[in-house]
Amino acid sequence: MASLATKIKLYCEANSKTVSFGSEGNVHIQDDSNGQGPYIKTWGVSGLDKPTDSQLASYETAGNTEESNNAVRATRKKLYGDIGDQLDEIYKDIDAWKARIKKIKDDNPKE
Amino acid sequence: MAYIGPEPAESFTSFATQEFSTSATTSYTLDHAVANENEIALFVNNVRQQPGSGKAYTATGTALTLSAATASTDTMYCVFLGRALQTVTPATNSITAAMVGNDLISGKDALTSAPASTDELLISDAGTIKRIDAQFFQSTPAFHAFLSADQDSLSDAATVKMQINSETYDSGTVYDNSSNYRFTPGVAGKYFIYGAALISSAASANLREAEVYIYKNGSSIGKSTFNYVDQYSQVATPTISIVDVADDNDYYELYAQLNTQNSGNWKALGDSTQQRTYFGAYKIIGV
Repeated sequence: MASLATKIKLYCEANSKTVSFGSEGNVHIQDDSNGQGPYIKTWGVSGLDKPTDSQLASYETAGNTEESNNAVRATRKKLYGDIGDQLDEIYKDIDAWKARIKKIKDDNPKE
Repeated sequence: MAYIGPEPAESFTSFATQEFSTSATTSYTLDHAVANENEIALFVNNVRQQPGSGKAYTATGTALTLSAATASTDTMYCVFLGRALQTVTPATNSITAAMVGNDLISGKDALTSAPASTDELLISDAGTIKRIDAQFFQSTPAFHAFLSADQDSLSDAATVKMQINSETYDSGTVYDNSSNYRFTPGVAGKYFIYGAALISSAASANLREAEVYIYKNGSSIGKSTFNYVDQYSQVATPTISIVDVADDNDYYELYAQLNTQNSGNWKALGDSTQQRTYFGAYKIIGV
């Protein structure tokens, strides 16, 4: 099940808006640990109404895909390695570097 | 009447008396031992008797001996002339420091446990002795608790109440460690409130931002943040300490938040012995 944050992010992107969470964010998600799960505590996305439950539910499938791809991105990033090491790798043998990167992508495909 | 020197304390003095149940006998027992018969005045049928050997009576120790037996219809009582009973109530403000023994406190029984909040102490208030409740010298209400096991499957970017469940102490039963996980001091005052959350994004290079909050009556009044947006991490322990003024029904809670890179869940780490995520507070005294 896609997280509330992911669905909010997709909802905002679909409406050409940017959402951010955290200390300086414009949307605050809260969970009072009372079994009701997370909910939108405050909504501050300028020019866009707070989504309804049905609007959020419509992003469930896309949200799952996004989260799956996020996991792939994280795996790929880890396997790519340090950017400085990659630059050294490129300088020494760019073709070998390209082949290694392609294998990482092929081994970890996005949905 | 004028005096040379301080005026002596005045008081009434009374003498010990004893009434006897009379019978046809010459021997009676006194309540108090005397050296001789001259230390008592004996009355039979309200007529004072002459003391001395060969007279109406003699006395020594507690033995009273009459020269002639009484009858059961007689009334008899004596006054102990040498045994004055005197009770003096000191005049207001007349007991000074010099009259008080140094063992005034140490000579009394020791309280063997922490004093109750309503126990009282003596204090000099700008030179005037007053009594004060012990609570003004106690940093209570107070509590400390920690998370005994992981609080898991927490949503990305959600600010989640920490279910701090294992109490180290809870003076005054002010922390709810099983339902609402909140500190309700119940006593107005200034409080030092602290907390920490060891939170994990469950994967390396996945933690974007970690935060811990103290909520008061449902709204944040304090926040501590670690931001890793340019260099993602995995685990962080934001800590927070604040001072707040509470009334008698305010309540406080500890919340935490973690933003993940992969939009996945996060968790707050707990342990039964090693304190990783904790929450506490105590009343500040003297302010």
